[in-house]
Amino acid sequence: MRMVIPIKQILDPAGITVRRDKERIFINREEYIIDPGSKAALEAALRLKEERDQAETIAISLGPARTDDALREALAMGCDAAYLLSDPAFEEADLSVATLILAAAVRKLGGADLILVGRQSGDTGAGQIGPRLAEALGYAQVTDVYALAVENGAARTTRRWGKGYATVQVQLPAVVTVAPEAFPPRYPHGARIMNAYREWNVPVWGCADLNLEPSSLTPLLTFRGESFPPPLEPERFRGNPTTVAQEVITALTLHKLINPGGGSHGL
Amino acid sequence: MDFSFPKEYQLFRRMVREFCESEVKPLAKVIDREHRVPHETIRKAAKLGLMGVPFPQKYGGMGGGEIGYCILMEELGRVCTSTTTVIGAHTGIGAMAIYLDGTEEQKQKYLVPLAQGTAIGAFGLTEAQAGSDAAAIKTTAVRDGNHYVLNGTKIFITNGDIADIITIMAVTDPSLGAYGGITAFIVETDTPGFSIGSLENKMGIRGSSTAECVLQDVRVPKENVLGQFGAGFLTFMKALDVGRASLGAGCLGGAEAALEASIQWARAREQFGVPIATKQAVHFMIADMAAEIEALRALVYRTAWLIDTGQPHILEASACKLFGSEVAHRCINRALQIHGALGYSRDYWIELGWRDQRITEIYEGTNEIQRIVIAANLFRPYGMRIPT
Amino acid sequence: MDFRLSEDQLMFKKMFADFCTNEVRPRGEQIDQTEQPPVDLLQKAVDQGFWAALVPEEMDGAGLDTYTYMLMLEELARADLSTALILSVHNSLVVKPLLDHGTDDQKDRYLEALAFGQMLGAFALTEPAAGSDGGALQTTAMPDGEDYLLKGTKIWVSNGELAGLFLVFARAPEGITAFLVERDTPGLKVGYREKTLGLRGVPCNTLYFDLARVPQANRLGREGHGLKIAQQALDLSRLGIAAIALGGSERALEEAVKFSIEHIQFGTPIAQKQAIYDYIADAKAQIEALRCLITYAAWLADSQQNFGQYASIAKLFGSRTAYQVTHKMLQVHGGYGYMKEYAIERYYRDCRALEIIEGTSQIQQFLIARDVYQAEGLKIRP
Repeated sequence: MRMVIPIKQILDPAGITVRRDKERIFINREEYIIDPGSKAALEAALRLKEERDQAETIAISLGPARTDDALREALAMGCDAAYLLSDPAFEEADLSVATLILAAAVRKLGGADLILVGRQSGDTGAGQIGPRLAEALGYAQVTDVYALAVENGAARTTRRWGKGYATVQVQLPAVVTVAPEAFPPRYPHGARIMNAYREWNVPVWGCADLNLEPSSLTPLLTFRGESFPPPLEPERFRGNPTTVAQEVITALTLHKLINPGGGSHGL
Repeated sequence: MDFSFPKEYQLFRRMVREFCESEVKPLAKVIDREHRVPHETIRKAAKLGLMGVPFPQKYGGMGGGEIGYCILMEELGRVCTSTTTVIGAHTGIGAMAIYLDGTEEQKQKYLVPLAQGTAIGAFGLTEAQAGSDAAAIKTTAVRDGNHYVLNGTKIFITNGDIADIITIMAVTDPSLGAYGGITAFIVETDTPGFSIGSLENKMGIRGSSTAECVLQDVRVPKENVLGQFGAGFLTFMKALDVGRASLGAGCLGGAEAALEASIQWARAREQFGVPIATKQAVHFMIADMAAEIEALRALVYRTAWLIDTGQPHILEASACKLFGSEVAHRCINRALQIHGALGYSRDYWIELGWRDQRITEIYEGTNEIQRIVIAANLFRPYGMRIPT
Repeated sequence: MDFRLSEDQLMFKKMFADFCTNEVRPRGEQIDQTEQPPVDLLQKAVDQGFWAALVPEEMDGAGLDTYTYMLMLEELARADLSTALILSVHNSLVVKPLLDHGTDDQKDRYLEALAFGQMLGAFALTEPAAGSDGGALQTTAMPDGEDYLLKGTKIWVSNGELAGLFLVFARAPEGITAFLVERDTPGLKVGYREKTLGLRGVPCNTLYFDLARVPQANRLGREGHGLKIAQQALDLSRLGIAAIALGGSERALEEAVKFSIEHIQFGTPIAQKQAIYDYIADAKAQIEALRCLITYAAWLADSQQNFGQYASIAKLFGSRTAYQVTHKMLQVHGGYGYMKEYAIERYYRDCRALEIIEGTSQIQQFLIARDVYQAEGLKIRP
């Protein structure tokens, strides 16, 4: 069984301060990490691999040269191979172009039985790369998966369904997007960390390797600038403690900071 | 000159930090209160290769060298000195002695399980009247056929009661003294005659055990002589040298944590209507902390680099231990002062850090001994031997 | 100039030393390990006059002058720091203010109980938002008929759960005011006991005042005079902390000297090593300097001169000395010093508190500098 895990590298949110009043993002510490969703996808793949004798896990990532670090971390976690998709022509990639490139990489790998990605990324959070990739490759897809097993050429998945869960079975090949809270990632083994940089390679594939014409990579979206929501005004609650507590709960719920109805779906 | 860490070390540090924050830190106060070794942490650390960081992969190690090992110690030192001590005594001196002086067979038999963390190591040197004065040890080893018979009592042995394998120093020829008369032995702790006496009740590092190890007619096969017969003194001096560098790294971590906590508390605590972070008394304390920490970091990693590249490092390693433990002490002591009554309270971790830190000025050779080692190294080129 | 002790002072010193050596010293380890105040020991101390140290002889107290009182605290601290602090708080921070500012009625009602062991005193000034900054108190005292209603929270109240009478500072209409509050006053709750690094025999509690009713007759001094009363009490108490620091340092030195003679390394007692005897010499020098400082400050107090600045100087220097001396004396013990069976381990933790309690060293530095600049006509702010 071949599993391909397209991963994304993002700026570590712990090193960023967003100042709404100044309409600026301050980067206190420019450090890049594997997106938590991608890490969960890696974890899901590695668990499946551990359950069987014949399985390979391949991480791929689209990005500039620094993305090499994310792929080596994937190798350290346990992946068998990793490929960096990098080319000057990829720099402006939007979702549609990224889908094209990733699909081309999967084809070059000879297709996949299972493609695992995170439910949504920690920076742009569109949640689209999974479904788009399934569409581009003609694979089945299941999103927001909490539990995953593969048997007899089919993936048995458990996903959120309203306030409960549903079991969905799909024939391979398939794309599965995973819920990060269900697959807390493992720590890489120290020796694999050393080997990831000292012993193993991460090949770089560009346009030519993937048989892509730079002209076909025109993004549909262009970045025009950023806007910030207005700064939050502090709100003061007065009155007897019981009423105030209820008002605070309501306010926090409206701001989606808590979910008193239960469950953490979407967070 | 390039002071940046290679990328594998950067990734390793990130992994270790996450591990420490989620697995080690939450237990720090618990193991202090319950006065117990964090076996669960050791098991988890072993799975990640953290019980054998400096050793080559062919011996079951991680292949991180001294630099990697110092990163581990620094990160552990930030969150829990007890755990630092357990892993440090196991790796830095227990297994290290076998790595430095063991035969290939000894390494395969003992270093591999130690490095993989399936066995725990310890280092048995100190006795009631022989700590800093290693030559005064009384434990004896007498040849009997293919075995040596060991008798004596070791005290203050970190990990003594949880260890599977202990390196024991014993007198093999009283007439020859330290150089020639002392031999190192690898002792399996399930050998008949090996037993644990009392466990010490300590001020700090209460999450690491400090045991009295009693050897009564313990029969050790002659293959378990570690290093050259009669050269035990050199074996353990070499191991201690390496251990002292990493001990400095643990102190570095402790000092960093003290500084970070002080910055946060000084921002939050208001007196006289303003945060105490606006007070020069506080500025001076945290500025001194930061300056000393930067100096210590440079010293520790330069020493680690000397060790990894096979260069002489005895003076530097002693300096790491001496300077590191005193920097750590000053930093946590200032942090306690900045935190005031909160710092003195057992509800917060500063007092734990303060108690834990205190041992670093004492163990693995008191700071007074480090000063003697450094001075001896400075006078030696002039042909002068310092009497101890 | 005469540094000799008078016959009275000598007699008291011997009496204190006997009691402390025979009764208190053997209990130090247990007090620390069980974290329980030595209640029976404190009761025994009543007969020796420890509770009535500052009460005049004509009221059947010991009538000690300041210097002899310092000798008492020093001897106590040599035996056990927790016991010393409990009695220091009681005498300096409760009995003394009552003697100085109490009405005859207040003395009639409380002095005997305080002096003869029925009531231990405690001092409630610190609040969550006002530690070193006494002016920021938030506890209020609202007049209500013949009474005041106290509302607020006090933290780090030494002797808390052991005390029968609290000297409480609260904000009344005219300013901060001192009140004598009995333990069983409705509305007063003795809460959480702190768990501390050292001084584990001193119960240190949070007090909650929820409209605690205190009669006007229990107001100590005039409304608005609270901070002045607190300041005066703290002057004596800070000098007392210096005496405790002296006793603690002396004990640490004593333990280290004993150990360095007994412990053999490299074939000789470690006392023969320069590294060790240098530590001992430095400790001894610091201790004797501290003793002179306390003697001088106590002489100022006993000759009715202002000794506030010297109390701060003695507290700053004394607590620093105690910390440095215990640190080095522990170092002399090597690994043994880290073990709880050696007294130095406890003294090191106990003495560390002295740089924090009753005004941190940083506050003492400010107070000293303030006085220095005041003499030059410049007002500095904290």
